[in-house]
Amino acid sequence: MIETDQLSKLYGRGVYALRDVSVKVGRGDFVFLTGPSGAGKSTFLRLALCQDRPSSGTIHVARRNLALLKRRQIQAYRRTVGFVFQDFKLIARKTVLENVSFVPLVLGHASVQQSRRAFQVLKWVGLQHRMNAYPEELSGGEQQRVAIARALVNDPVLILADEPTGNLDPDLSFEIMNLFREINARGTTVVVATHDRELIRRVGRRTLALDHGRIVDGG
Amino acid sequence: MASSSYHLREALTSLKRGGASNALAIATIALALFVFGAFLLVTASLDRVMSGWSASAEMSVYLRDDATADQRQAIEAALGGNRLVERRDFVSKAEAARRFRRDFPDLSAAADSLATNPLPASYELRLRANEVVAAADVERLARSVAQLAGVSDVRYDRQWLDRLARVVGALRLVGFALAAALAIAAGLTAAAVVRLAMAGRQDEVEIMSLVGAPFGAIRGPFIVEGVLMGGMGAVIALVLLRVAYQIARARLVADIPGLDAGTVAFLSPLALVAIVGGGVVVGCVGGLIATRAVR
Repeated sequence: MIETDQLSKLYGRGVYALRDVSVKVGRGDFVFLTGPSGAGKSTFLRLALCQDRPSSGTIHVARRNLALLKRRQIQAYRRTVGFVFQDFKLIARKTVLENVSFVPLVLGHASVQQSRRAFQVLKWVGLQHRMNAYPEELSGGEQQRVAIARALVNDPVLILADEPTGNLDPDLSFEIMNLFREINARGTTVVVATHDRELIRRVGRRTLALDHGRIVDGG
Repeated sequence: MASSSYHLREALTSLKRGGASNALAIATIALALFVFGAFLLVTASLDRVMSGWSASAEMSVYLRDDATADQRQAIEAALGGNRLVERRDFVSKAEAARRFRRDFPDLSAAADSLATNPLPASYELRLRANEVVAAADVERLARSVAQLAGVSDVRYDRQWLDRLARVVGALRLVGFALAAALAIAAGLTAAAVVRLAMAGRQDEVEIMSLVGAPFGAIRGPFIVEGVLMGGMGAVIALVLLRVAYQIARARLVADIPGLDAGTVAFLSPLALVAIVGGGVVVGCVGGLIATRAVR
């Protein structure tokens, strides 16, 4: 699903966020990216979501060379990927249902489909009873579940999660990881960046360890 | 692509939340269109006035007091054979004096006190309408008639009408230039306001971009917001123009004798469409400028 070759990202003043990273993540895999702050985890996910371009090397996702995608092709590619962030990135003035149905709405799906699909995924993450609540009325764990529902609503082939449990306590973190495991069990490739080694140990999946932009373990 | 009702709904929500900054943009657009409309209104009215005056443009050929019958016959022959002259009326010295007393009753006593009538006899010529007659031809006629024996002077209305037409033309240019400058300012203000709205909804824009929303879906609500601001500005400008027009017309018709109320007509339907369209275009351009960075 994801294949990188000598992938590097150089920021100003000669600082490499990623350096010569060559990894493969198969279709249907569940992979943790781990490492200390500044190791390059978020940079890897930003490159995989086409938020940045590589400085050198290549990154292919589902056989697409992301460095070569044009603006419109990037948007088309992103429709096949779901993302989850540490800070949830929910829209404060929209309800839970609106936050989730917002994705099919802006992608131009019929309104009946928008609501039906949004309700389905909310039910799947166990939040259908909070669909009319606003994000500020939810706990951190609930907000992250809404973010996961939003990531799933478009049936992505790949889920990218950047420190999805960074703002949650250990029990909630494990609960969220179980959701990711269920998503993965349905065939979706999942890449989770986290520095929480205890969580990785409890979940027990393949781990790619980064340090100073280089793969130091699991590559 | 997201539906147009979504764009409209989001744009209306943003407009409601925009408050003072949106009001500023709408007011700027309204000002630009008001100036544009006012110049259209003034120049169109002046055009109609001049058109009326041109249609009845006259040339006055004043005769010397000692002009003989033969000289008058020669003058009449010269005028009668000219294709530019539509009608010719002879005004005798006595008729000229009578008209003077009628038009200037306060001075009639002074005129009566004179031993002789100082007003000259004349031929008043009605020339053919502007479209048919070239200004150069009329100039040539005036010069040739002025050289005939027995003629003391030739006065021609179109000389100052032409000058007035040039002034109106310049006025129109100034108006368009001013309106264009204001329109650019209005477009930039709208762009700044839409950009503010975008900044206020940066979370939505970012999420839309990350989920792969087409650029049209991301930019659409903001462009529609610009269009709505432009349309609202245009409507406000038209209302203000109508009010200003009613006030100005009432005063002009009262102050200028003989001015027909129909001459000072409001903007044509085409001009109204141009103003509303102008507002929409200005707002749309503002929205496009504001959202050009979306990628």
